[in-house]
Amino acid sequence: MQFAIEDRGTYTEVVATGRLNMVSAPTLRATVDEAVGAGSRHIVVNLAATEFMDSSGLGALIGCLKVARQAGGDLRIACVQKQVQMVLELTNMNRVLAPYGTVEEAFARD
Amino acid sequence: MTDRELQRRFEADAKPESVNDLHDELDRFWSALDDVPFEDQMAFTTAVIEAASNVVEHGVPLDRDGVRLGVELNATSSRLQARILEINAAAHPDPLTPATGDPADLESGRGLFLINALVTTVTVERQGNTNIWVLSKESVPRQ
Repeated sequence: MQFAIEDRGTYTEVVATGRLNMVSAPTLRATVDEAVGAGSRHIVVNLAATEFMDSSGLGALIGCLKVARQAGGDLRIACVQKQVQMVLELTNMNRVLAPYGTVEEAFARD
Repeated sequence: MTDRELQRRFEADAKPESVNDLHDELDRFWSALDDVPFEDQMAFTTAVIEAASNVVEHGVPLDRDGVRLGVELNATSSRLQARILEINAAAHPDPLTPATGDPADLESGRGLFLINALVTTVTVERQGNTNIWVLSKESVPRQ
């Protein structure tokens, strides 16, 4: 899995490509930690190219959400695919991490 | 409904990278079974990866040889089944009890919950030096 960070001005986009599982979850945490450490407070994780997420990946997203909120910001997710949506709904985590249709929508109303 | 059966076996050291190799094996399994509904593939793959990840994360080796991860996949015209083998590992005292706590605060512990939600039956048995999770999901091929 690959992660790319893009500065979008009012927020930072993290593009996650591949499988978000026990192998890649620590890298997601490190990527978001780095972005928050560099001053980013509002993070959007773009999951359009995330073909799979398991509970390790979900745990990493929740950990990243905590990091962003502890820094006074927030983390949101966008463009989720069917399998990721399934995991979010089964665990009820879609209430904590509500998916946005597009990256741009994630912080549009803030 | 057509009668058909497909079997695959995977074995590797119980380390994180093996989970990616298993996922590749599952992709090949589905390529050979193009009549399994996508939703069933998605649910079954997720359950198998969760169970395999549990072996990698929680397997306690019996000796210096370490734990091996084995997976036996089987698809018939009515059912998908995976036997997840935790080879050369200590027995788990309570293998089917999920983590407890506020779900919003948990960064781990959802794996077993997901497995139970995604397949029809889950059983765990001990054979020799091996713990075996058997995941079964009813699934009828597309016409």
